[in-house]
Amino acid sequence: MGAQVADLRARLRELVRSEVPEGYLGAFSDDPADLEVAQRFCRTLADEQLLCVAWPPEWGGRGASPWEQTAVREEMWAHHEPRGAQYMGVNWVGPTIMRHGTAEQQSRHLPGIARGEVIWCQGFSEPDAGSDLASLRTAARRDGEVWRVSGQKIWTSYATVAQWCFLLARTSSEEKKQRGLTIFLVPMSAPGIVVRPIQTMLGPHHLNEVFFDDVAVPDADVLGGVGDGWNVVQEVLSFERVGIARYARCERLLQWAPVVLAERWAGLGEDLRGRWARMLVHARRARLLAYRVVDTQSRGQVRPADAAAYRIAVTRLDQESAEVLVEIAGSVAPDTPEARRFCRAVEDHCRYSAAATVASGSVEMQRILMSRSLLAPR
Amino acid sequence: MILELGAEALEFGRSSWRAIQAAGGDELVRAVESDPSRRSQLGESVLGPLGAFDIDPWGSPEELEAAAALCRSVGYWGVPYPVEARLGRPRGGRFDALVVVAEAAPAAAGAGLRLRWAAAGLDGVLYSATPRAGGDQPRRSAFVCPLALEAVGTAQPLEVALALVLPCWTLLGMLDRAVALAGQHVLGRRQFDQPLASFQGVQFQLTEAEVERLGVEELAKYALWSLQTGRPEAVDDALALRLAAIEAAETVFRVAHQLHGAIGFCDETPLSWLSRYSVPIRRLPLGASATRSELTARIGGRGLTGLYSPPASP
Repeated sequence: MGAQVADLRARLRELVRSEVPEGYLGAFSDDPADLEVAQRFCRTLADEQLLCVAWPPEWGGRGASPWEQTAVREEMWAHHEPRGAQYMGVNWVGPTIMRHGTAEQQSRHLPGIARGEVIWCQGFSEPDAGSDLASLRTAARRDGEVWRVSGQKIWTSYATVAQWCFLLARTSSEEKKQRGLTIFLVPMSAPGIVVRPIQTMLGPHHLNEVFFDDVAVPDADVLGGVGDGWNVVQEVLSFERVGIARYARCERLLQWAPVVLAERWAGLGEDLRGRWARMLVHARRARLLAYRVVDTQSRGQVRPADAAAYRIAVTRLDQESAEVLVEIAGSVAPDTPEARRFCRAVEDHCRYSAAATVASGSVEMQRILMSRSLLAPR
Repeated sequence: MILELGAEALEFGRSSWRAIQAAGGDELVRAVESDPSRRSQLGESVLGPLGAFDIDPWGSPEELEAAAALCRSVGYWGVPYPVEARLGRPRGGRFDALVVVAEAAPAAAGAGLRLRWAAAGLDGVLYSATPRAGGDQPRRSAFVCPLALEAVGTAQPLEVALALVLPCWTLLGMLDRAVALAGQHVLGRRQFDQPLASFQGVQFQLTEAEVERLGVEELAKYALWSLQTGRPEAVDDALALRLAAIEAAETVFRVAHQLHGAIGFCDETPLSWLSRYSVPIRRLPLGASATRSELTARIGGRGLTGLYSPPASP
């Protein structure tokens, strides 16, 4: 950490204040203007090499340290991810293409991501392949010069607005199901792709089903080798090792509560204020567990159990802080614009946090990962 | 912010750990409980030669970290000696040990030791403290006895913070051991023709304990950093650590006992001793609820210093 990180954080906050409307709750609301805000914000970030801050300068980044990347993750999540869907392209689609893509794929895809102009979606999960991703059945078969893809993906964020899909499909049937998987970079405009939005309790939808019906994909859109998909996916997951900085939004909302309540804060029951204080301790704890992972990462090491511990702690924080905040919001009279913004943000946090222990790898998978390390023979 | 203790402190912690093991390890608590008169010898014969009492936590950041590392090693072996109180003694040489007390019922694990005790209230009043008779036998009390207090001045906030933080490092050592013991037990114990560790229900409980233990480790380093840098909110940070440490201990010992089954309550297992000797640290000066109340009152609407709150005013 240090002055560089502090300066970066300060600049990000300035940009959020100047570019993102107060009360913004993310790009995927019922108001299409919110998506436009996100797209515009991404272009602003890109102009300052802040969108792909971790990327090397030749691809439009700053080659930022893991600690600077952490500051970006924190500030963006705390402010309801004003980059919209771009974090996916920036955080792992781009880095994966940098590492495994052909020169043609790199020059075709990376500049667009770096400028914040292209939205990607991730075609991994299927109705029968969630935590057990290797069981996926969407198949790609060779047909002369192209591959023909057929199958169904689900829980695909941003598919309605994405231009490209980072698709994992089965290209051969092997005894070990992790083999025979291949990554395809598929334009969402390709004939044969149908997207169906899924309405959820989590808020305005950005989850979808995506159906592939004999979609033709040229060989040039295979990323890495045919059959190398599982290895690439493992690497993708390692880019996301720390995951979302959920603690940052929790802390921001928790610290906002007494400001909104002002002189009425002291009138809250002692028990509720005590639970609030406890959540602040847990937010700090989750942040420090994230820093433990970042510190290890910055020294070029990997300890998957630490990352799992962080995810377990931070997802619980997300849900427990939502319960406390909802109770506090019940005491807020919505008679000022700030009070209304606070209540809306809490309501959004409450609904969204319900999925925290499911999204991006269920908490049970994190426990399995962690127990393997804890109980490994020494 | 401290992300890892310095190399010297870590090495001191390891060498202390080995020295305590060589001096008897788990046997120390058994021996002292059966013959309480040997308690004071622990300081002279086991901890003294390590240089424990030459450490001045106020002398340098390295010495403060060494003090924390030593407490962790002492906790791991459940050594029944208040090393954290001695390391946290007030500056000036008037006292040998300092504990934070709840003025309504001042107590400390001070039985059987001829030390010049000081006590501090969370309000900053410094007392001369005298251990009183009336504590139960060590088997029930873990050497806790009531204290008679006489106000003698003011304890500095950083002194109070240190006296709150070091016992949490001792407790962290106990959590290290409890998680390790639980892991070893479920790997070795077989039921239904397989190790207990192969059952997911068992695995998940162990991860629950480990997440809590790791969280305490990180908060303990944070509170140490807050002390090292003399931050005005050091007492808040110490109380935040203490709250998390007590809650973590509840989870860790509950899980460790559950995974051990009945054997975990038997004195032939180290867990039984560790569990009992963790109680004074968890209970004194304040348990979880009272610690939370104290923290809540202190931080008011300001909250804890973090990403979205300013540091407290000096």
